[in-house]
Amino acid sequence: MNALRLTRRGLIAGAGATALAAPALAKLSGMIDLGLPGGPGLRPTTPAFPGKSEMIVQRIRPPLLEAPMEAFAKGTITPNDRMFVRWNWPFPTEIKAAEHRVAVGGAVKQAVSLSLDEIAAAGEHVSIVAVNQCAGNGRGLSEPRVTGTQWGNGAMGCAKWTGVRLRDVLAKAGVMGGATRVRFAGLDVPLTEGAPQFIKSLPLDMAMRDDVLVAWAMNDEPLPILHGFPLRIVVPGWFSTYWVKMLSTIEVLTGEDESHYMAETYRWPKMHVTPESKDFPTAPITAMPPRSFITSHADGDTVALGRPLTLEGIAMGGDAALERIDLVGKGWAIPCDLGPDEHGPYAFRRWQVTLPQVSGDLEGIGVRAHVNGAVQPDTLVWNPSGYARNVIERITLRAQ
Amino acid sequence: MRAAALMLALALAACDSGPKVAFADASVTLPDDPVDLPEGPGRDAVIENCTACHSPSTMLQQPKVPREKWESIVGKMKTLYKAPVDEAAVPAIVDYMVAVQARPEASR
Repeated sequence: MNALRLTRRGLIAGAGATALAAPALAKLSGMIDLGLPGGPGLRPTTPAFPGKSEMIVQRIRPPLLEAPMEAFAKGTITPNDRMFVRWNWPFPTEIKAAEHRVAVGGAVKQAVSLSLDEIAAAGEHVSIVAVNQCAGNGRGLSEPRVTGTQWGNGAMGCAKWTGVRLRDVLAKAGVMGGATRVRFAGLDVPLTEGAPQFIKSLPLDMAMRDDVLVAWAMNDEPLPILHGFPLRIVVPGWFSTYWVKMLSTIEVLTGEDESHYMAETYRWPKMHVTPESKDFPTAPITAMPPRSFITSHADGDTVALGRPLTLEGIAMGGDAALERIDLVGKGWAIPCDLGPDEHGPYAFRRWQVTLPQVSGDLEGIGVRAHVNGAVQPDTLVWNPSGYARNVIERITLRAQ
Repeated sequence: MRAAALMLALALAACDSGPKVAFADASVTLPDDPVDLPEGPGRDAVIENCTACHSPSTMLQQPKVPREKWESIVGKMKTLYKAPVDEAAVPAIVDYMVAVQARPEASR
């Protein structure tokens, strides 16, 4: 990995060399307007990434790819070619399966280094359908705006993940008494010496849960490299920042995790804040709140005046099961029909509602999910990093 | 990857007693950024100090922020991420980003 590290000389030489080494993104097939308040909202789209169909390009290197909302217009499973892609640091583009190892160490009885076959033999094979969503999904829609990847709402997807339970892998090494957290690292590493590696940890009780996996398959296919081949952590109900990709190290901790991506970022305020707030207490961003979207229509679409109108879309409960979906306007709410619970509490479900007659423009309509007796908020819970957006997403439809 | 997918599908389907998973090697080629930074004072400083990690398209997509924010972003790259940014080039980098953000979106 040291050959990859940046020095000042390497950095300047590298700027030219990468352009020669990689094929240019031959054609950006289109542009999409994410409608980010105040702009810039235009993004190129391309099918040029391996295993991907048309995706929104948020960043080329390392790739940040967003799914257009049309990817969620049908069904509850997001195909692999439409799953969003997010990397913090560069990662290897070639991996030999036979050479890959996962080191399990830290506060364990016996540190081990496991091959892929040993991981697969560590326990019962388990499949779970769960939404994988970036903690910053929808950040670009924050008002006031905040810096960071300017995602629309497409940094999410729902897939079937298959692997073994993390606790079965931990059992190969034996967790010692006094363990508090389990930390993960992958093959993605910073270009610069001394920059923080992307490592994340779960509290021990989460790590030992029945449905937290070391997964090798996504929708019954091997994890694509862009999604963390050969193994990634899957934490149903929690944001994907914990779903560490290209898993290579599992470390059992006995204290708090003071590493950068736990202690200094991926955190949000414990209290209401404004852009002027300073020195407020923060907590790690963990479980996902409920979200719901209209997918049958986009903002500004035209609908037939005087006719019935059927609206439909998707919803997720986050870390708990959906109870109900309402269509809401300014001062009114109508219950929607929630589709079948096909895949359990952590998956997308579809919803639908038919209005008997469109009597005029539908201004600022949206849907809201109910979970554990609570509903999605009417106003944005603003935070300086734009995490965990779950405000009701509203659109306006014009009647003609 | 397609061959690997097929192997796994077969392996999963064929699990009478104890499932087997066949792991195959994987490799991909990633595309490079076709977007070039627009001309302007400081462009060379940005290319020399920033583009090894940040593709031009990403830089051009950031929301408009004040000069002080760009200064703190460059500072964070140096102190937190240990980016080998030439201290003398920082004012030119900041000038360039501020100037590019002042242009209409279509001409960036």
